[in-house]
Amino acid sequence: MFVHAGLVLLIMVIAFVVAKWAKVTTELSMAIAALAGALYHTKGIPVRHLVEGSFNYFDVCLIFITATFFMNILKESGAVTFMVRSIVSRFFKHRYLCLLLLTIVMLVPGAITGSGAATVFTVGTLVGTVLTCMGISPNRTAAIIFLCAAMSAAAPPINLWAMMAAAGSNMPYVGFTKPLLVLSVVGKLGAAFILGARGKQVDLESALAELPESPVGMNWLKVGLPFIVLFALVVAGRIWPFSMPIVGLPMMFVLASIAAILVSPHKLRIVEIASTTIHSLIPLVGIMVVVGMLIQIMALSGARGLISLGVVTLPLYVLFFALWFILPVSEGLLQYAVAPLLGVPLILLFNMRGMEPVIALSAMATMWPLGDCLPPTAVVGRATVMELKFKGSYTKDFLKTCLVPIALILLMCTLFIVFSNELAFLVG
Amino acid sequence: MNNRSLFIVKIVAFTLMLVAIVWAGIEFYNHRNFTETVVLGDGVSTVKKLSDYYPGLKDSVNDCNIYIFEGKEPGGTLMVIGGSHPEEPAANLTAELLVETAEVEVGRLIVAIRANRSASTVTRPGDAYPLYYTIPTPWGEKQYRMGDRWTNPLDAWPDPEVYVHYPSKQMLAYMDIRNFNRTWPGYANGTLTERTNFAFMELVRAENVDVFIDLHEAELEYPVISTIVAHQKGTNVAAMTSMMLNATEFKIGMEYSPKSLHGLSHREVGDHSQAVSYLLETPEPLLDRVRGITDEHLLLTGKDPFVQKAGEYGLLYEKIDDDGWPIDVRVGRHASTVLELAQSWSDLNPDRSIRVSNVPRYAEVIENGIGFYFANPANVPSQRLAYE
Amino acid sequence: MTFLNTLINASYYVLSAAVSLILIRNIVKTRDAQEAVLYCIILMPFLLRVFHIK
Ligand SMILES: [Zn+2]
Repeated sequence: MFVHAGLVLLIMVIAFVVAKWAKVTTELSMAIAALAGALYHTKGIPVRHLVEGSFNYFDVCLIFITATFFMNILKESGAVTFMVRSIVSRFFKHRYLCLLLLTIVMLVPGAITGSGAATVFTVGTLVGTVLTCMGISPNRTAAIIFLCAAMSAAAPPINLWAMMAAAGSNMPYVGFTKPLLVLSVVGKLGAAFILGARGKQVDLESALAELPESPVGMNWLKVGLPFIVLFALVVAGRIWPFSMPIVGLPMMFVLASIAAILVSPHKLRIVEIASTTIHSLIPLVGIMVVVGMLIQIMALSGARGLISLGVVTLPLYVLFFALWFILPVSEGLLQYAVAPLLGVPLILLFNMRGMEPVIALSAMATMWPLGDCLPPTAVVGRATVMELKFKGSYTKDFLKTCLVPIALILLMCTLFIVFSNELAFLVG
Repeated sequence: MNNRSLFIVKIVAFTLMLVAIVWAGIEFYNHRNFTETVVLGDGVSTVKKLSDYYPGLKDSVNDCNIYIFEGKEPGGTLMVIGGSHPEEPAANLTAELLVETAEVEVGRLIVAIRANRSASTVTRPGDAYPLYYTIPTPWGEKQYRMGDRWTNPLDAWPDPEVYVHYPSKQMLAYMDIRNFNRTWPGYANGTLTERTNFAFMELVRAENVDVFIDLHEAELEYPVISTIVAHQKGTNVAAMTSMMLNATEFKIGMEYSPKSLHGLSHREVGDHSQAVSYLLETPEPLLDRVRGITDEHLLLTGKDPFVQKAGEYGLLYEKIDDDGWPIDVRVGRHASTVLELAQSWSDLNPDRSIRVSNVPRYAEVIENGIGFYFANPANVPSQRLAYE
Repeated sequence: MTFLNTLINASYYVLSAAVSLILIRNIVKTRDAQEAVLYCIILMPFLLRVFHIK
């Protein structure tokens, strides 16, 4: 069985590499890998398994789609522009405060969608404009935007890596809020201040001139109302669980979107926004659906077990020294697929070794998004340079600038894993 | 790519997708609507419905059969449920073994085979479970639905943002609102799963059940395995049972139900009724994450070199060797433990004693195979058949 | 309460149907063959859920 599972794995890897080489997208390459593995293992096409696997992250996909739709509605209604303009015109004299507030604005989209790309697409350009007006170089601006986006993806309540890995190990996605918040906020502020410390006061005039106009009639109440609706639904479900109907996160986002549409100062083209939402999510939703199929075929053929066995039989110190490297690189290669593939056996191992799995998984789930700037996928990194119309070289300018803060965040996360038991008080 | 070939790609991809979902859809549909035939043993007096105890479940997918055995002499009442987690086949097979073979001398026996029917109509995405498994019998093969740990989302959608357990207000993972062994003691105004637990609690109270046993299986990576989990009201009976079984049949542990962990049967049934509650676990290597090829063979034999390898590294809570954990061993363990619990209970509570006979024990089940005890439905009058 | 829960349950099927329709619309509109294929794959779970099959 060892040989068989190894062969299935090898065939999948070869199929993936060949497909990538033939200029097939990562998502379809994974689908081809799943199909190749399935063909070898069953000597036929296990249609039921492939289709069933596509359901693996169905709930996560729905949350993801509706949350992103919500963010896009906010963006289109002008709420995001309004927020950024208000912050700049109110706090332009206090450079650090301004930087801090912008970092917080950059936390929101990723935190509620779980995707760094959402942060880049909704607020990246706006914040980037302000940062440039603060005298921060284009290299550093791009690096700040990417790192803030990556950390916002790691931030609670929605961390897709932790959710997918927890779901795969029958572990409740509960208790992650504090550890994820600490890791992502420290990481985000660290990155923003390391890269953005030097510069000048915000040049208010040029900043306001370059930022898009905020729509007439927008105010803080209208910006806040959708969030209040969302927050109220979450809180009500926790305070009166037995007298509230079960709404579920996707419908909460839909209701919050409806609130945003109702208070929007101008008419929104909802079908268009929904269509762009889906279009912009294609790589991410696509990867979740395809990864589900891949995981099912790997479970069917024993390949998943082989990987798990390989991971759980490694000595712990090897992991401590290797995870900081393996996690981001695997993310760059496989995207969210790494959470079930590596995350689940790692949690199993941490459990068996008596470590605090929630802290360890939180740390891993903060390391993964950093890999989103690494090729071949580099989803968030590419989105960043695209949105900012970055002129420099991707590796020599952008990636190089990211390196120091990334190394520091990785170090912090590794320490969290090593000292997971001592930090267990954060789970609660 | 020109318009024409783009159009062709689109049409071909869409058609292939339709073929795939129709193909898989038929399999899902058949699995969801597959019925298992149960032959009522001579001991079964009546077959009721769960909705007889709580009408709110009438016509729902979870309105399962309740098999009632009236003893020849009055005594206590023993209740056994299988299928709490339909991905644990030894549980429903043991319950069915009772229905087909048991005779009650003293007291009463109540059995449910598919306690959470909805969860038995779906398999978990990503885990590649077989849809069915077959048990060989002297007259042919008997087929069963493989199920999942959670209620079918088609019967309970959506899940909450976080699951708040009724009535303790303990917060649990969102999907566990569909986990039949996290929703005890149930909630009449709740989801399908919570209402099913509520119906069972109504049954336990209405039938004045003394001993309540919930059958399960566990992965070897999980610390609660090969054991009897006992509510504090029944620790003496469990300790005696474990001692007897260790001395005569096989190794089995005994542990206390944690007081702060809510939603589980061993905690809530004992807390919310007069019954003493127990939960039994046997090893099922199919549930292990490090398992190799996932198929019916692994489900029924419990043989897996990967799980064995993990055992060599000291990562498991139960031993596993080349013999694996065959389904007959697992069912045999459950059968003996149920009988021994009834025996120990009767020794300590003579006024509420329960005596069940004719059920094969561990060694017999292993020797003959579980299928040996299942009668051929074709030879039985239709009024002695039930469907799950 | 039961009514509200039924309503919410139904709204989830409507949501899945809406996503399916947008996916189909995007399949028709896209100019990228690989994207069209991926849309088709994503459509599978949504359609099966809409039709109460899985
Ligand atoms: Zn169980």
